[in-house]
Parts: sequence; structure tokens; C-alpha cells
Amino acid sequence: MTGSRMDRHSLAVRLAALVLGVSALLFGAVLAYNYFVSRDIIVNQAEENSRTLGREVANHVAAELRPVEQTVRNIALALEDASLTSGEITSLARRVVQSNKDIFAMAIAFEPYGMAKDRLFFAPYCHRTEDGVRVTELGGPDYRYFYMDWYQLPRELGAPVWTEPYFDDGGGGVMMTTYAAPFYRLQDGRRRFAGVVTADIPLAWMQRVAQDVRLYDTGYSFIISRNGTFIYHPLQELMLNHTIFSLAEERGDSRLWDLGRDMTEGGTAFLERVSVKGGVESFFFYTPLHVGGWSLGLLFPKDEVLREATMLSRNLLLMGGLGFVLLAGGVFLVAGGVTRPLRRLSGAAMEIAGGNLDAPVPASRRNDEVGELTDAFAHMRESLRDYIRSLTETTAQKERIESELRIARDIQMGILPKLFPAFPEHDEFDVFASIEPAKEVGGDLYDFFFLDDRHFCFLVGDVSDKGVPAAFFMAVTKTLLKAVAPQSSGPAEILEKVNEDLAEENDSCMFVTLFLGILDIGTGEVRYANAGHNPPLLLQGDGAQFVPPLNEPMAGAMPGMRYTEQSMVLGAGDVLFLYTDGVTEAMNHDRELFSEKRLTDLLARARTDGVEGIVGLVDRAIKDFARGAVQSDDITMLALKFTGKKGA
Amino acid sequence: MEFTTNKIGGYAVLEASGRMDAVTAGEFEKACGELMDAGETRIVADLTGVDYISSAGLRSILSSAKKLRGMSGEIRFCGLTGMVNDVFTVSGFAAMFKLFDTAADAAQD
Repeated sequence: MTGSRMDRHSLAVRLAALVLGVSALLFGAVLAYNYFVSRDIIVNQAEENSRTLGREVANHVAAELRPVEQTVRNIALALEDASLTSGEITSLARRVVQSNKDIFAMAIAFEPYGMAKDRLFFAPYCHRTEDGVRVTELGGPDYRYFYMDWYQLPRELGAPVWTEPYFDDGGGGVMMTTYAAPFYRLQDGRRRFAGVVTADIPLAWMQRVAQDVRLYDTGYSFIISRNGTFIYHPLQELMLNHTIFSLAEERGDSRLWDLGRDMTEGGTAFLERVSVKGGVESFFFYTPLHVGGWSLGLLFPKDEVLREATMLSRNLLLMGGLGFVLLAGGVFLVAGGVTRPLRRLSGAAMEIAGGNLDAPVPASRRNDEVGELTDAFAHMRESLRDYIRSLTETTAQKERIESELRIARDIQMGILPKLFPAFPEHDEFDVFASIEPAKEVGGDLYDFFFLDDRHFCFLVGDVSDKGVPAAFFMAVTKTLLKAVAPQSSGPAEILEKVNEDLAEENDSCMFVTLFLGILDIGTGEVRYANAGHNPPLLLQGDGAQFVPPLNEPMAGAMPGMRYTEQSMVLGAGDVLFLYTDGVTEAMNHDRELFSEKRLTDLLARARTDGVEGIVGLVDRAIKDFARGAVQSDDITMLALKFTGKKGA
Repeated sequence: MEFTTNKIGGYAVLEASGRMDAVTAGEFEKACGELMDAGETRIVADLTGVDYISSAGLRSILSSAKKLRGMSGEIRFCGLTGMVNDVFTVSGFAAMFKLFDTAADAAQD
């Protein structure tokens, strides 16, 4: 996270996301609950409305038609009077048509020869024309009415029926339906069927009633007959041309078939389906009309019914969304405010972590956790800065010291003779020396030089302890030896003089072990003295043995020491091997010492010509033995070979 | 290094064990210094437990000996074995100090 930006992982964003997420969830739940509850209420209300409306329409229709039915039944009763003449019967029908606006026409049809023995047909038909009521005879050879439905049905059923609606061509091309009631006469003491009274009713008014049913915006109603024929439907082409069943078959809609059946059987239901007109998701209510087994259907689109619920929800959503935006703004503001100091602090921390310890830590103005953190961080920065300052100084100091030590080491090593062969002009002897400094500044030394033409002085020494003091002591020793040697009579005197000089004012109690020999290059005689140093090895023929030690004290420890001079004579090819304890005390990882035994064994077996070869052999043996273990002491070796040859 | 001290007659006996090398040599000097501070001027250093001594170890012995000499005191050694005995011999320490087999011997007279 970077300091100033609010990226998607920042605390503020996560906090805001949490709050807003929970709010959105809650709001969504409330909105959904509200929608479904209000939808339920509205649907229930719609059902209630459609029931009421259905009832109203049914009542309206019934109110229109019941009087017609009553009139027809009354006429039927009146016709049971056998004394009525044909003129009276015709005038009865005419009066009914004249006085009932709802009745377009009335026929009173008798059984064959029912009115008079000589008349097959008697069926006066009174119908309304523009000029008044006209009377015609229905029956005739072309129209044998006994076989028509309107005659047969009431006859067979013995009860009045409403016929299927039809277009009446003769009656002005309007849709009609006929109410037909049987009438009876007593004949031979029995009540016998005598004929049928019919009233033709135009259905235009009923279509208007159905048309006027207002259901939401685009809702509509329809009416079907007992057989499922559409008496009214807003789609004109369906009227009288289709039954609900033929429509169902045409559309392959078995559900519609079932509904049609239930409707024609007088069922009532409220359900959801796709409307025939317009094909939209709708609510559908149907109920019987109580007349002629007819059924009324009401369809109204769901959208329009639920518009209010939808609108309510949309408004709620809108208000909720607005509230959500405001809330989001507020939350971001607060969360940003809470985390701003953190972000500033984080920015400062990044800068400080990047190494800029002078980067300002934002001032904390609060007493909360952020304030405490800021204070703690400021304190940490101060401590870190102090620490790094002191570390930098210490490191610089250490580096300076190390560099000085390195220089000291270089100087120390520089004062030792390193050029080999050292005396190519002398065949009488050969000398080689090496020093392998330990990591620390040590105090080993070796040296060789001619005292005069015949006498060659050589020495190896080891200053106690390590470090810069040892290095100084070594340098002093070497300088003293070289200064003292030419003015002395022999090795012992040299050591005694050096001891006196070193011991004087030697508060540090440092000392140096020294082996010093003087070779007469003409005779091979070596005079030597030993101040506490490891005895050298003499390599002669097939053997290697230690030069017998006298165990006299090392130089520099105490004044007044006396050393004994000894001597030996080297034969041609004899080698003297001088070394410091860095050789015999070299250690491997198991802390084993290289030991004097390994050294003598090695040199006894060594058949190497030349001093450099001998030193190299020991050096390799030590390295093989140590196998990478840290070298703790300087390793110094000096090999001197007497050839016995005469000088050129 | 580890040190224990006890007293035999007029001598403080300092039993040392471990390696006396450049790293630990200072500890011997310090142990002697503590005895001197306690007023002991006659010390027997029992080196039975010391298995290695380097030139730095020798120097710390020499330094302590010099201080004792300045206080008219003395340091004696006992229990020198193996390599330590060799180093004492070769370095001439054997000639500079009085050596004994045991602390009891060293604390005589």
C-alpha cells in the first residue's frame, strides 16, 4: 500500500465496503420483502376487484334478461288457455314486442296441426321494423320450424332454454339470441306439449356492457355461451366464429380447453395466464352469468395490476440508491478520515524504510491508537537514526582500524627478506624462508644476513601474543637483532644484548622466542643459541632429528638472562629446518595438533632436493592436515642447506 | 578457563583448567589479580587441568609474576603435564620459576 492513494486493499476501502455491503444487503432484503408483500396485497385486491366487477356484470345481465324470461314464461302460461283464437295469439305476441324494448321479436310456434286441424304450420312471428311491428308466418315448406333447435330443445327438455347466439339476417343483421319456452295444453285430461314461445333478444347491449368493462388500461372481458361460443370478445373475428374449444385446439393450448370446460360448467376462478388478445401475462377471472349457462371472463395485464407495486419498489429503489450513495460518501469520508493518519504514517514509514531517516513523521493530533502508533513510530525513527549514526561512525572507525591493521601487516611483512634465491653468488649454501600470516596480525619473524664475508647469520622468532603490540615488538626485535649482531662475538651475546634491550621498561611483559645461528660458509660450522624457541630439525642423510635444546628463557621477559652458545658442524647436503610453533600447533577441525612427530616423520621421509622444496612440502602437509580449519597462528619456516662447495 | 581457589598454609592455591591461549589468557591474569587484591602475595598455580598453553598464556603468567615480584610476593607452579610441561621447558620458564609436582609440595616452607 502506498501512502496517499486509497487503493482497493486499503483499510478505508475495506471498512467502507463492509458497511456498504451490509447496508446494500439489508436494503435489498427490505426492498424485496416490500415488493412481494405489496404485490400480494395488490394481486388480492385485483382478484377482489375482478370478483366485484364480475358480479356487477352478471347482475346487470341478469337484470336485463330476467324480465324477458319472465315475460316469455308468462306468455307460455297464458297460451295454455285453449280458447285463444289465432288472432288473439298473434295480437298477444305483437303487444309483447311493442311493449318490451328489449325484445326484438316474438314467435309463438304450435305443434303441427296444433292450432287448427287444417293448418300444418301456425307460428305467428312479430318483429320490430322501422315502421312498427310486423307479423309474418314463420312456417312454410321452406322453413319447417319443428325441426329447428329453438323448437326441439325446449320440447325435449321440457324447460325454457337460451339458444346459441346467431346473426339474424332477417332481423337487421345483428347478433341475437333466443329464449324459447315450451307451453302445454290439457288434452284428454293430460298436459301435453303444445308449442314454443320465443323471444329474440339482440345482444348489442350486452356487448356494450362487456365492452364498457374497464379493467386497468388494456384489460378486457369476454363472454362465452354454454357451448363455449364467443358471444363477445374484443377480437371481432372470434365472435360466433369460434368456441373457446376451437380456439384452444387452433392454438394447441390444452390449458385453455380445460378452462373452457370449467367455464361452461359454471366454474369461478382467478388465475394467471397469457391473454389471447395481445399475448401478455395477465390475470384471468371468470364467473358464470346466471343466464343461459353463459360465462364471463375478465383479463387484465399483470404489468398494469402490479404497476403500483413496481412503481413503489422503483421509488423505494431510487430513494434507497440515493441514500446508498450518500451513505457511501459518508462512509468513505469517515473511513478516509480515520485512516488518513495511518496512510500518512504508512507513507512516512515507506520513505523511512527506504533509507530516508529524515523523512518527517506526520504530527499526531489525536490520543487514539493511531496517535500512539505515530508517537511510537517517531520514537523508533529517532532511535534508529541515532543507532545508524553511531553504527556508521563505529563502522567507519572499524574500517579505518582494519585498514590500518592491514597496512601494519603489509609493513611488517615488508621488512622480512622475500627475494629468493637470496644469494645467488654463493654456492656454499642455500636458504629459503616463508611466512604464512594468520588472519590476525601476528608476531613471527625470520631474518638472515651476512655478518662478514664468511659468517652468515640466520634466525627465526616468535613474539608472544598477537595483534598490533606483537607486531611492534617483532619489528623492534628484528631491528635490534640486525643492529646488535655485527657488534657481538657470537649468538649468545647477541641474544643477551637483545634481551637486555627488550626487557628494559617492558611493562607489557611481552617476550620473543628466538633461535639464532651463525654459519661459517667455509667450514659448515654453525654456532647457535636458543631463547626459548622450538628446537630446529637437522636433516642429515636419511634422518631428521631435533637439535638438542638447552631450554633457556625467551628474550624480553626479564633482564639479566644468560644464554649458552653451542655449535655443530654441517656436512655437505645437511639441512637445518627452523620453524615456529604455528607449524606443530596447526590444528584441524577435530582440534588435533599437527605435532612434532608428524613433522619429523614427514621430513625423515622427505627426499627433496633444495630448501624451497622442503618448505613447500611441509606447507602442503599442513594444509592437507588442517583441511580448511582456520589458521590461528603465523606459520613460519626457514630451511638452510649447506652444500659444502667452495665459493666462486 | 575455570578457576577454583583454596588455601594451603601461607599459600593461595589457584587451580586452573582448560586451554590457556590468546583468548583465555586474560582470565588467568584476572584470577591472579583478584587474589592479589585479596592480599595474597604467595600463590601456587596448579596447572593439572590445563592441557594447552600458548605464548599468550605464558605472557599472562609472566605479567602476574612481575606484579607479585613488585609486591615482594612469589608465584610457584605445580601439576605441569604433557604439552604444558614441554612449553615451560622449551621457553625457559622452568628455569625462571619454581616447579613442583603437587600443590602440597609447593606450599611447603
